[in-house]
Amino acid sequence: MQTRRMANVYRQYWRINILTTLEYRENFLIWFLFTFIYHGTAIASLWIILAQFPSMNGWSFRDMAFLYALWMVAHALHNTFFSTVAEIPDHIRDGEFDRLLVRPLDTLFQAIATPGQVFPDELILALLTFVAATIYSGVHVDWTFVVFIPLIVAGGALIDLGLNLIISTAAFWFVKVDALRWIFVQLEQEFTHYPLSIYSRAVQVLLTFVFPFAFMNYFPAAYFLHKPEDAHALALPAAAGLLSPLIGVVFVAVAYAFWRFGLNRYQGVGH
Amino acid sequence: MTGTVPRRPRFRIQPYIEFAKKAMAREGTYRFDVFTTVGSFVVRLYLLRMVWTALYAHNAAPVDLSRHEIITYSAVALLMGIVMDIDQTRALHDKLHDGSIATDFMKPIIVPLYFFADGTGEVLFHAALLIPSILIALLIFNIIVPPPMVLAAFFVSFLLGYLVGFFLNFILNCTAFWTLEISAVQLIVTWLTDLLGGELIPLILFPAFLQQFIYALPFAAMFSTPLLIYVRQIPPARYLEVMGLQVAWIVVLGIVSTVMWRAGARRVVVQGG
Repeated sequence: MQTRRMANVYRQYWRINILTTLEYRENFLIWFLFTFIYHGTAIASLWIILAQFPSMNGWSFRDMAFLYALWMVAHALHNTFFSTVAEIPDHIRDGEFDRLLVRPLDTLFQAIATPGQVFPDELILALLTFVAATIYSGVHVDWTFVVFIPLIVAGGALIDLGLNLIISTAAFWFVKVDALRWIFVQLEQEFTHYPLSIYSRAVQVLLTFVFPFAFMNYFPAAYFLHKPEDAHALALPAAAGLLSPLIGVVFVAVAYAFWRFGLNRYQGVGH
Repeated sequence: MTGTVPRRPRFRIQPYIEFAKKAMAREGTYRFDVFTTVGSFVVRLYLLRMVWTALYAHNAAPVDLSRHEIITYSAVALLMGIVMDIDQTRALHDKLHDGSIATDFMKPIIVPLYFFADGTGEVLFHAALLIPSILIALLIFNIIVPPPMVLAAFFVSFLLGYLVGFFLNFILNCTAFWTLEISAVQLIVTWLTDLLGGELIPLILFPAFLQQFIYALPFAAMFSTPLLIYVRQIPPARYLEVMGLQVAWIVVLGIVSTVMWRAGARRVVVQGG
């Protein structure tokens, strides 16, 4: 019964999203251009650098294009389905969140299904980029690739969700978390562009075990591109790249436990 | 009717200094910003140092720019970014949105100059954040400090770059006279400035065919020129030429700003504010 009702709400959520997008078409086009240029300049920067310096710790531009595209798909998948989690702090601040608490559906689900103007444009762009980068990088597409890539992408999206949820949960205590989010977004979006092996050991540990962004793209890409496993100081086996789905589930579970902990202690912000 | 046309106010500098002071005080209330700005500076500089170190370890330097010089370049670019990446004329956009621009037109002030003073006050407040950032750059990242002559030329060029940036920003915010939703466009321009202005990667590393195109745009006058002076890729013999180009951009963009401002202001009056 509960599941059916949730499915129904979720369907309505997407219906409103798409109707809103169709209503504000110009706005949508401008934001699509924004997404396009954002990823375009990132890839262009890598291309310019690697045109001058052909190798970055053994990674060529073709390898880096695959590395970027893998992160891009996971990130776009997260943005398409879970970007609303980032708006929870706003709901808490303006008191809107308290309304979700008294309704007979899971609070987090309601927060995720708060309609806005979400459209899968970035995901479509990311999938096209990923196909192009896969061909361009000459990755050997075998059964392991076909089976694991969707799982790895989903795992990457979950890692993104976990971080998003942890930061939003922090808003139960510190009402304004924009600055905190901004630092982590930067940490994720800029550090994932390059092979993990270029960083110092402490940063490698941080990006692998604390905030496991390296599992979004670096470890899987290193596996499929057959990069020598001793390239990074952590000396994990090559097959670590296939663990991303598991890491994603564990990270989200930790984030969800933290969310429940925060929710149980939440007293409102005094509206 | 005679006598109702307001007389053009006599110009006094005092009010504008007060506007700048007020903007500084306003910015001071966002204290958390301090941590994000300095924190983000350190994180990004660390990242760029790792990137350049990895690239120089496995390849020959493509141009006459050592690893130490290029890290210095990145550090100074990020320091400049702390004050340059501020949207100084954001207030114009906001005031057009909520309509409060109408009352500004009634005040005995030169409105664009008010925005300049307000924006400069904001920038000066952020300049205070430069002190810890510069110390970190000098002590931890060990950046190169050029001789006083070069440093002086850098500051002059930086100031000219600031003015180019101011007018570009002003033009962008002026488009809000016609269309109200411009935040996406502004973000796009910010990224293009970062890339095409040489803030992320020195323009001398760009492929030759791209360089020709990029030097025809105003972005290089904002970041690249002062930075290349700092790392001495532009020799003193060319100072006059490159700074002349910066001045030319200021003049061109200044004229465009004036034209847009006049057309926009007339529109506000016609619509009744």
